[in-house]
Amino acid sequence: MLVTAIEARPLRSLDRVRVELAPGIVSVIGPNGTGKTNLIEALYFALTGRSFRTSDRRDLIPFGGSLARAEATVRDEDGIEHQLLAAVSRSEGRRHLIDGSPADPATIARARPPVAVFAPDRLTLVKGPPAERRAHLDGFIAARWPARAELRKRFGQAVAQRNALLSRLAAGYGSPADLGIWDSGMAEAAAPLVEARAEAVADLATAFNEAATELGLDEGALEYAPRAAGSTEEIRAGLEERREQDIRLGRSSWGPHLDELKLNSAGRSLRRFGSQGQQRAALLALLFAERQALLEARRVVPLLLLDDVMSELDPGRRERLVNRLGDGGQVLITAADEESVPVAALETVVRMPPPQTESAAP
Amino acid sequence: MSDGPAPLARLVAELSRLPGIGQRTAQRLAFHLLRAPDEEAFALGDAIREVKEKVGLCEECFNLAEGPLCRICGDQNRDRATICVVEEPSDVIPIERTHEYRGLYHVLGGALSPIDGVDAEDLKIGELRRRVERGGVSEVVLATNPTTTGEATALHIAEMLRGQVTVTRLASGLPVGADLEHADEVTLGKALAGRRSLE
Repeated sequence: MLVTAIEARPLRSLDRVRVELAPGIVSVIGPNGTGKTNLIEALYFALTGRSFRTSDRRDLIPFGGSLARAEATVRDEDGIEHQLLAAVSRSEGRRHLIDGSPADPATIARARPPVAVFAPDRLTLVKGPPAERRAHLDGFIAARWPARAELRKRFGQAVAQRNALLSRLAAGYGSPADLGIWDSGMAEAAAPLVEARAEAVADLATAFNEAATELGLDEGALEYAPRAAGSTEEIRAGLEERREQDIRLGRSSWGPHLDELKLNSAGRSLRRFGSQGQQRAALLALLFAERQALLEARRVVPLLLLDDVMSELDPGRRERLVNRLGDGGQVLITAADEESVPVAALETVVRMPPPQTESAAP
Repeated sequence: MSDGPAPLARLVAELSRLPGIGQRTAQRLAFHLLRAPDEEAFALGDAIREVKEKVGLCEECFNLAEGPLCRICGDQNRDRATICVVEEPSDVIPIERTHEYRGLYHVLGGALSPIDGVDAEDLKIGELRRRVERGGVSEVVLATNPTTTGEATALHIAEMLRGQVTVTRLASGLPVGADLEHADEVTLGKALAGRRSLE
C-alpha cells in the first residue's frame, strides 16, 4: 500500500496544499514554522480520522476558520487508488469518508496502511501510563496477526461487564453468585490476549535491542510483564480467588487490563529513569522493531511519520537510521535543513512552505 | 426551517423517533405520505394500529403471537420435548428458515448485561425454568448470540438447568464457503475444539 498524495485544504496553517508522495523515504524540509508537522498531521488525520497531537480534532481548524479537511490518495496492492477524506467542522462535527462515502473504522482501516508516528509529543508512549503501551502493543498484534485483531475488543467488553457487576455488588445490589459467569467470560477473553501479547513481545525483543543499540541506547530491552498468565482455567481460578477483594473495590483488580510493557535500558525503567534522549531512542527503536517484524512477516508495513527525528542524533546515527529505513515501506521525515539529512534520504524532497495549489473546484 | 402545518410537524416528530431515521429522512417520508394516495397512507396507519392491537407475546414462549399462543407453540406437529432458547423474537426467524429445527422456542427478551443493568430477573429465565420443571422436556438448545453477553447468558442458563435436562449450545465455527486464512483466531479455535469425525 502506498500513499501517493496528501492534500490539506485547510488544516492549521496549511491552506490548500497538495503534495505528491513517492515510495521509500520522503524528506519534508523547510525552516521552522512552515508547516512541516502540520503536513504529516494532515496525512495522519486523512488516514486515521484522528490527530496524534491533540484529542480535540477541532484544534485542526485554522484560526478564524470553520472547518479542517485533509485528503489522502492511497494505492492498494491491486493498483487501485482510493480517496480517504477526513473533515472536522465547528457546526457539523467530524466525517471520515472513503471514496466519498462514510464507512465504519474497520473498513477504512483495511483501505489504508497502518501509521506509526514519531513526534516529540509521542514520548508519552514511553513515559506515560501503561495503558498507552498496552493499546500500542495490541495495535501491533492486530497488524501482525489480523486474525487476532478482535482480542483486545473482546476482552474489553468482558472486563467492562464484570466491572459493571462488581460496582453494583459493591453498592449492595445483586448476588455475588452471578459473578461466576463473568469470571468465565473474562478468563476466556483474557487467555488468548495474554498469549498474543507474549508472542508479540518475543517477536519484537531482539529487533528492539538491535535498533536501540544503533541509536545509542545501552542494553535496550523490551519486556512483557503480564499481570495474569496461564490457561483460561488458571485465569478463571485467579479471578475467583480475588472475588471478595474485587467486590470491595468495585472493579477487577487483576487481569491483562493491568499488564505492562516495560522499556528498559541497562536494567532500569526508561519510563521512570530515562533521560529525554533515551526515551526518544527507545520510542524510535520500538517503532523500528515493529516495522521490521511486519516486513519479515510480509504484512502491510506501516507508514512511518518521523517528525524532527534528526535534530538530536549525531551524523553517524543519522546514517544508520536512514540505512535501516531503506529496506521498504514508506517513510516521511521532517527536518529544518538539508544538512541534517543523510544524502540517501534526499532522493525525494518536499520543500516547505509548498506552493499553494490553485483554488479550483473545492 | 418553518415547521409547516401542525399535523405535518407532528408526523415529522413521530417519524424521527424511529431507529435510523433522522430529521431529514423524517421530513422526506412525511412529504411522501402527504403526496401519496389516501388509501396507501391509511393502509400504513391501519397496519401500525393492527400490529399494536393484535400482536402480543406468546404466553408459553414469549415469541410474537397473534392471540394467547404463537404459531409454533400452537402447532401440534412440533417436537415438544426440545426447547431452543434465543434472545429476541427476531432470532426465531433465521432458525425457522433453516428447516432443521422442529422443536419449540423460548424467547428471553435480551441477554444478561450488567452494564445495561439487565439481570436474570429482567429476562424470561424463571419462566424457562418453570417450563422445564413442568416436565416433558428432554433437551434445551441454547442459541443466544456468540457475544460476551450471549455467552454469559448461555452459561447462566446451563448452570441453572444442570442435572435436570440435557443442555446443548449451538456450535461456533467457520462460515460455510469462507477461507480458513481469514477466520479470526477465537472462531477458528472454537471450530477446532468442536470438530467432528467424518463417518
